[in-house]
Amino acid sequence: MGASVGTEQSPEVRGRPGGLVRGLGQSALEGSRFWFGCVRMVLFALRALAAPGAAARRAVLRVTMAQIYFTGAEGLPFVTATALVVGATIMIQVHVAAPGMPGEIVGNVLVTVVLRELAPLVTAIIVASRSGTAIATELGNMKASLEFVGLVSLGIDPVRFVVLPRLIAVTASVVVLEVYFGLLALVGSAVVALAFGTPDLVALQDGLAATLRLADLGLFAVKGVGCGALVAVLSCYFGFQVKASSTEVPRMTGMAVIRSVLGCVIYNFLVTVVFYALFPELSRPV
Amino acid sequence: MADGLVLAKVTCHRGPVVVLENASLRVPSGGTLVVTGSNGAGKSTLLQLCAGLLVPQSGTVSVDGIPLEPARAEMLVRRGIRRACVFQQGGLIANISALENVALPLRYHADFLGLSETTIEERARFCLGAVGVEPASMSALPGTLSFGIAKRVAFARAMAIEPNLACFDDPDAGLDRENAEVVEDILMSYRNDPSITMVIATNHRALIERLGVAPHELVGGRVVRLDLLTMPPTSLV
Repeated sequence: MGASVGTEQSPEVRGRPGGLVRGLGQSALEGSRFWFGCVRMVLFALRALAAPGAAARRAVLRVTMAQIYFTGAEGLPFVTATALVVGATIMIQVHVAAPGMPGEIVGNVLVTVVLRELAPLVTAIIVASRSGTAIATELGNMKASLEFVGLVSLGIDPVRFVVLPRLIAVTASVVVLEVYFGLLALVGSAVVALAFGTPDLVALQDGLAATLRLADLGLFAVKGVGCGALVAVLSCYFGFQVKASSTEVPRMTGMAVIRSVLGCVIYNFLVTVVFYALFPELSRPV
Repeated sequence: MADGLVLAKVTCHRGPVVVLENASLRVPSGGTLVVTGSNGAGKSTLLQLCAGLLVPQSGTVSVDGIPLEPARAEMLVRRGIRRACVFQQGGLIANISALENVALPLRYHADFLGLSETTIEERARFCLGAVGVEPASMSALPGTLSFGIAKRVAFARAMAIEPNLACFDDPDAGLDRENAEVVEDILMSYRNDPSITMVIATNHRALIERLGVAPHELVGGRVVRLDLLTMPPTSLV
């Protein structure tokens, strides 16, 4: 995540003696600048939560609701279609790979694969590709056309007015969409199970109930909040990296999506590892 | 407004351009500073410094003893500093209408400015009307407006906040005579208002003469006072 943000080592540097060391140093510098920038943005946004001004809070809330509508409500059709197809596909694969597998085991597979892994990750990828690109593009264009300078001149903090609403809205939307994805994917699986006549839906339900734990709610929340925040922060960060030209916007938008997806995959993996380390009993099949 | 706008030992470089080099400058409260200079001399950068939109490499910029820093944008309004800036490119928010652009700062600071929603709407419409923006254009997005109308909207936004610090970058550049006159009238009223400290970056001789203010030229990192009668700078048009 941290290496060579926004710059690539030139062939001349790579070819020169000592170029590798210089390149590594440059990458480390860029990486630390990237991390520092992201952390600073989050800290400023959190500080802005407590900033005074009831009218400003109302203005921020309006932007937040608009972003929730765009990311959450308008994202529903895509999440619906993807979840149903993913759930159905997994049930078909189970049917092909292990025909006659007991419903309890299939339920276990659905919880571990769909609910614990795919729901947070696929939702985050959908949100990164829809809203992440939109946010990075919008902010990049705002930066290039001096709109942020205009906001500051009006006494409006861009972090409070632009970043904070997107951070809250995208995070909340990912959590809600993630739950929605999980439920819809189970519906998709159930429809295929019904069509094939196996596994038995009652046994499948028993398997789901036996595998699901209260800790799964925590896992859902941690993954949803983390992935949502990652997408929002990285999209805003790369939007702000545009200097003065609108030609930088597509490059930064691409960077935002790639980093968001990569960040979510790595984050998802780490949370899964920590989850099973904390709750080893959940790693055993029913 | 005792101190006015003060730049103390400010050094500011932008790329290869030395805008200011350890320069100090004071615009008394209610005064007007007109800055001229050749293209690329850094007039716009100086204007952004004066408006507190840019952090210099060294030195301080303050108004009435309150430091102007981009990171303290909201705090300035709460401390009574109401800035109005009009940039060469307008700086309007692209995804909201002209009316919403004008109302935005009023709505955002409504509690500190003591404005109700009705007052905000009325004031925004009044300011747009005062600069000759037709009602049909008020609901249009800035991108769909002509350059002249967009600039008028930017002026309306500046007027709406009832500023005590106003910064204008090439205010009449690219405008036809009718639009330029509207802008000049606003600048004249601000020039005569003792509660408004104003900085204007322009090379337009007619505007400077109408304002009746001795211009300062930005040259080699220094701000040099000029006398229009005896030493007209070559950069003036």
